[in-house]
Amino acid sequence: MKWDIPLGEEIHPGNLGCQGCGGALAMRLALKALGPDTVAVIPACCWSIIDGAFPVHALKVPVFHTAFETAAVAASGIKAAKDVQGKATTVIAWAGDGGTFDIGIQALSGAAERNEDIIYACYDNEAYMNTGIQRSSSTPSGTWTTTTPDERPESRPKKNIMEIMAAHRIPYAATCTPAYPDDMLRKFRKAKSIKGTRFLHILSVCPPGWKMPSDRAIEVMRLAVQSRVFPLYEVEDGLAYTMSLWPTEPVPPEDYFRVQGRFRPLFEDPARLERIKAFVDQQWEILVRRHRRTHPDEAGIPAGEAAAR
Amino acid sequence: MSDLSHVDRYPEIPVSLLASRGVLRTGEWRNMRPVARERRAPCSDACPAAVPVPRYLHLLAQGRLREAYETFTLRNPFPAITGRVCPHFCEAACNRDPYDGPLSIRALERYLGDAAAGLGLVGPEGETGKSVAVVGSGPAGLAAAYYLRRSGHRVVVYEKREKPGGLLRYGIPEYRLPEAVVDAEVARLGALGIEFRTGVALGPGMSLEALKEAHDAVVVATGAWEGRPMGMEGESLLEAGLEYLEQVARGHHTLPGRRCAVIGGGNTAMDVARVLRRLGGEVTVLYRRTAAEMPAIPEEVAAAARDGVRFEFLSLPRAAAKEAGALRLTVERMRLGEPDASGRARPEPTGETVDLEFDAVFKAVGERADLAPFPDAMRQEPGGWLAVGSDGSTADGAVFVAGDLATGPATVVEAIARGRRAADAVSARLGGGYDLPAWAAEESPDVVAPVEVNHAYFSRRARVEPSEVPPADRVGGILGEETAGIAAADALAEIERCFSCGYCNQCGTCFVFCPDAAITWDDGPVFDYDYCKGCGICSVECPGHVLLFVRERDDG
Ligand SMILES: Cc1cc2nc3c(=O)[nH]c(=O)nc-3n(C[C@H](O)[C@H](O)[C@H](O)COP(=O)(O)OP(=O)(O)OC[C@H]3O[C@@H](n4cnc5c(N)ncnc54)[C@H](O)[C@@H]3O)c2cc1C
Ligand SMILES: Cc1ncc(C[n+]2csc(CCOP(=O)(O)OP(=O)(O)O)c2C)c(N)n1
Ligand code: SF4
Ligand SMILES: [Mg+2]
Repeated sequence: MKWDIPLGEEIHPGNLGCQGCGGALAMRLALKALGPDTVAVIPACCWSIIDGAFPVHALKVPVFHTAFETAAVAASGIKAAKDVQGKATTVIAWAGDGGTFDIGIQALSGAAERNEDIIYACYDNEAYMNTGIQRSSSTPSGTWTTTTPDERPESRPKKNIMEIMAAHRIPYAATCTPAYPDDMLRKFRKAKSIKGTRFLHILSVCPPGWKMPSDRAIEVMRLAVQSRVFPLYEVEDGLAYTMSLWPTEPVPPEDYFRVQGRFRPLFEDPARLERIKAFVDQQWEILVRRHRRTHPDEAGIPAGEAAAR
Repeated sequence: MSDLSHVDRYPEIPVSLLASRGVLRTGEWRNMRPVARERRAPCSDACPAAVPVPRYLHLLAQGRLREAYETFTLRNPFPAITGRVCPHFCEAACNRDPYDGPLSIRALERYLGDAAAGLGLVGPEGETGKSVAVVGSGPAGLAAAYYLRRSGHRVVVYEKREKPGGLLRYGIPEYRLPEAVVDAEVARLGALGIEFRTGVALGPGMSLEALKEAHDAVVVATGAWEGRPMGMEGESLLEAGLEYLEQVARGHHTLPGRRCAVIGGGNTAMDVARVLRRLGGEVTVLYRRTAAEMPAIPEEVAAAARDGVRFEFLSLPRAAAKEAGALRLTVERMRLGEPDASGRARPEPTGETVDLEFDAVFKAVGERADLAPFPDAMRQEPGGWLAVGSDGSTADGAVFVAGDLATGPATVVEAIARGRRAADAVSARLGGGYDLPAWAAEESPDVVAPVEVNHAYFSRRARVEPSEVPPADRVGGILGEETAGIAAADALAEIERCFSCGYCNQCGTCFVFCPDAAITWDDGPVFDYDYCKGCGICSVECPGHVLLFVRERDDG
């Protein structure tokens, strides 16, 4: 085995995720890092279904199903109860992008502001997938969903949830994706070791919602990172930015978009595609600048990036 | 205040107690399934001896030297030899080539051979009571002798020269293949009970019939040593290149003259030229076509140029004459025409000639086999070439042939492959044989294509190249071995470059990416088809594409 990954599972086979579900894989990997002494709090989202319908459930750790908007607050309450019991159990709120960026943001902001001792993981498939692919504020600009059809694709850019969370000055926030399991496990282990509110933003493929074949599920998430559409980085105490991965060979964002039917509107309007690509570049440069401000010695910055300042 | 007493009547929070395992058989959703199916790597496919490259490299990387050596020697008993002189058809076929250069397979092979110096070859499991004669002890004869012995037969090797090894000892010079390496392999065979009788030749003194009487079967591998006449004026003034190499191999390090010419473009020509350079000669190679058509191993041509050998291409000597203690060669300039039967451009005369002066001129324009010992009944036509099957069988059921004798001048690895096949054919006739491990018994002929490799799991890195031993440090002086073996750390780093095409090297990628926890890990993937939904991720991600994705119905 070339991967440094625990062989034990905290999930049974037989989950109800679709073929190639990035959310199912993300949970499986996250729990490998967090271990059995974990409680998961899941609001309405695909994962309410993936875990199985009562009385069956796929996770080996306890799951608390809760209302769409309440993941952060329910997790905070469970953690408080565990504290009272004198237990060190890790409590993780596990919510979709709808339950995080949109309806759950109030509870999340409140918990973060109080620096509740929870991990909040958002598996982001960039739409309301469980109810049939409606747009969320996480849906990227130019995307088809059932509520943003080809004639009127999503017009607003994806909400920057990482900046919102960083603005709360929580101890730890990081992006990750199951296409990079080493990086993802490292970040979950690190999150587990920190006290306070920790936020993990997981890019998570949805083959039916993204209109693509399930066998390319890992590849597409890898392309998101390599094309800089979804950079991997960490933010400590809301201010210290560290890039986790510098793509080595240039991959144009089109390579990421083309695999997915949901991005067809981008290829029907060259000006739109150019705008999106400029946006990707701009977001990347902002992150590089923040990384450089955090690491003035340029440690870890590849020569190519340093030159392209 | 409203009445809150109803709270006490609420049931406790409902708790799921049933695991999805055993209940939600998501495998029923599937219409495609992943199957682990090892296939042939292009390197192994290109290798005449079909050495399972990624398999033995993986064992080597795990530090399992003996298993690596045994895996290798199931197909080729002499990695220390081919690891030095093989033209490595494997590297030309390597799927890594278009990515960042082929794996240094030959250097790794030599690494294996040198590291395994203290190990013995796998011997027979029992005795068949049959006896087989092997005539000739070049690579074909030695390989045949080994696999015959491993199959349980008594083996006697008859060799005309005073020591076994054939061209390995008397042709290929010391600087490329030290005699000590050949001696060590011969000693290994001796340790298995193979008997060597040197100084005896098949021919008038010992006929094929006599050998057939004394043994149950005969494998003949006498090579191709006869010089080919060029049909030029004054040809008798020229020296035979191969004979000169043999003289040098016997320790006569004499330079016949300062200004030397070598006629030909094959391995013999390159070796003669390079030996002459080492002994202080000024050397010009005359070849009738151009560099691109030279049959010699390209590295040897490049090395000759580095040694300071001059090349005169499109040059065909037409006449030689003695003149005031020197030789005058009249050379006709050629031009390239249409391709000939070998696919190479045919040299055509231009009528233009030049006279060049040398002190000694060597002929190295190819050799052919001596067929005198074989009756017409074994030939394609009376006086013609031998009729030989791909397993070395001949018209005489008790006689098999291998190596250059069977194929015409070829390579060491082809001779080894032919020797092994002839040995196996003898066992098919006499009984006996050796056990094949499962992978060899069930080997797939399907070759993994470059596009099937998942490059995401590799990064570009220059290949490890063996270094040259500085002339002053060469064991054995001026003709001592020039190429150094690679260090263990370099070997391990190089093995990491291997895509492991079609061979499961237990990387674990499939296990890591299964969203359904439907793969358990037992030094390799174990699929739980009750739950595998058939997403296809493992198949697409598998770096060397061992996992195929097949339709449920025709999983055959
Ligand atoms: C100078 C030179 C350099 C070469 N370099 C390379 C190289 O770098 N890489 C490569 O792969 N190939 C190389 N080759 C080709 C390679 O050496 C041959 O293809 C290979 O050795 C053939 O093996 P063999 O066993 O058929 O014959 P040989 O090696 O020729 O062995 C035949 C044996 O039979 C013996 N014999 C002959 N007649 C009789 C008889 N009547 N009775 C008993 N014994 C007899 C001979 O003495 C000899 O020992 C080279 C060839 C030459 C000439
Ligand atoms: C208050 C409320 N509104 C609407 C719903 C219906 N609903 C259930 S899941 C879901 C979408 C969830 O989307 P997201 O959070 O992105 O998770 P995903 O399904 O994409 O994994 C919605 C709208 C609900 N359960 N509760
Ligand atoms: S990458 Fe490895 S297995 Fe594939 S062809 Fe090259 S040496 Fe053979
Ligand atoms: Mg969603």
